[in-house]
Amino acid sequence: MTDHQGYRELAAPYALDALAAAERTAFEEHLAECAACRADVQAFREAAAALALAAPAAAPPPGLRERVLREARRGRPLAGRRTAWPWLAAAAVVVAVAASYGYWRERTARDEMSTVLVAMRARLDSADRLVGAILDSTVGTADLAATGKAPTMRLYWNRARGLVVLAAFDLPPAPSGRTYQLWAIKKGQNPVSLGTFNTAAGGRAVVTLPAPAGLKPDLSAVTEEPAGGSPQPTQQPFLVGTWQGI
Amino acid sequence: MTARDDRALGELYDRHGATLYSLAVAIARERADAEEIVADALGQAWRTASQFDPGRGSVGAWLATITRSRALDLVRARGRRARALARAAGESGEGLSAPLAAADAPERRVERQEARQLVGRSLAELPEPQRRVIELAYFTGLTQTEIAAELREPLGTVKTRMRAGMEKLRDSLARLLPREGP
Ligand SMILES: [Zn+2]
Repeated sequence: MTDHQGYRELAAPYALDALAAAERTAFEEHLAECAACRADVQAFREAAAALALAAPAAAPPPGLRERVLREARRGRPLAGRRTAWPWLAAAAVVVAVAASYGYWRERTARDEMSTVLVAMRARLDSADRLVGAILDSTVGTADLAATGKAPTMRLYWNRARGLVVLAAFDLPPAPSGRTYQLWAIKKGQNPVSLGTFNTAAGGRAVVTLPAPAGLKPDLSAVTEEPAGGSPQPTQQPFLVGTWQGI
Repeated sequence: MTARDDRALGELYDRHGATLYSLAVAIARERADAEEIVADALGQAWRTASQFDPGRGSVGAWLATITRSRALDLVRARGRRARALARAAGESGEGLSAPLAAADAPERRVERQEARQLVGRSLAELPEPQRRVIELAYFTGLTQTEIAAELREPLGTVKTRMRAGMEKLRDSLARLLPREGP
């Protein structure tokens, strides 16, 4: 009991991203098996999310809307300014994989943009106006939450050469005896392993893996697995992304 | 992007842009940076929208989380944190969030003003030391240990204040907000 009280006290600072790394990791391990603490975190996340509305109001400049649309049209890849990969981008399909890190690793990419937007509108329309303004809804929280610095990853699928190139950023090396494993997922089918990898101390990795011929995956995902990898994922993925243009 | 996409993203911006921009300014302190942060954050949200799960969260909170994270990254990358902290330290009476009485800039939506006032009121109800640690965590990205060092308070004190403040905030927001049906 006393031990568990210690965990419960971490839910609020966890929701604020205010735990030191070691504490956060320990708490996430606990969260994986404790529904009570998960519920606490969810409630605190709602409160934390509302803090965005406590920022002093500042009026965006008139040009910002157009800039947002322009940059989205250009489709600048995630983390694109960190590294340029013109030699790859020219030849390969590029996909941006965004991170949902922390406890909510079970999140999987589900639907395409249009579905999301339809769902958003439906929710917004049905929600109470005030609730809609504060949180859009009171069901759960936004937990794509990057806690601290989120890992990001870009994948390139070069069909002509039969290669997948993976570039990871800010992903801490897997613990000893563990490895990261990259999966290709065709909806409705079992994930296919593309191989294992690890990052260096700086959290980076650039790895080339053979691409299975004839495979046209919808998604890719990364899990942490025992060293050597697993035939099928044994954990929920913590990085998931949708392939585009493949 | 199709014209339909343009419209959808424009809608997203119209609904959330002002809130996200205000958040970005509060964290990054520079308007030019805030513009970049909002454009980046909405771009990221746009590209990764397939990962957004409406069953688990709200769009506004998701966007705010992305925006906050990008703003903190930028502040860290530019070594701006020291300045943000100095400013926070110099405003002990006010803190980083909006004072309750501050007049809102003209906003498109009355409901957003109401929402802001509700959150402002909930924050204002907190004892100042509790509000302060919560604001430091949210707007500067400091951990509890860093906050303790910053405020020269024992870590245990910071932990207690943060927890107590968040519990009150959670409870008062839950009280103020009507719950949505299933
Ligand atoms: Zn627990």
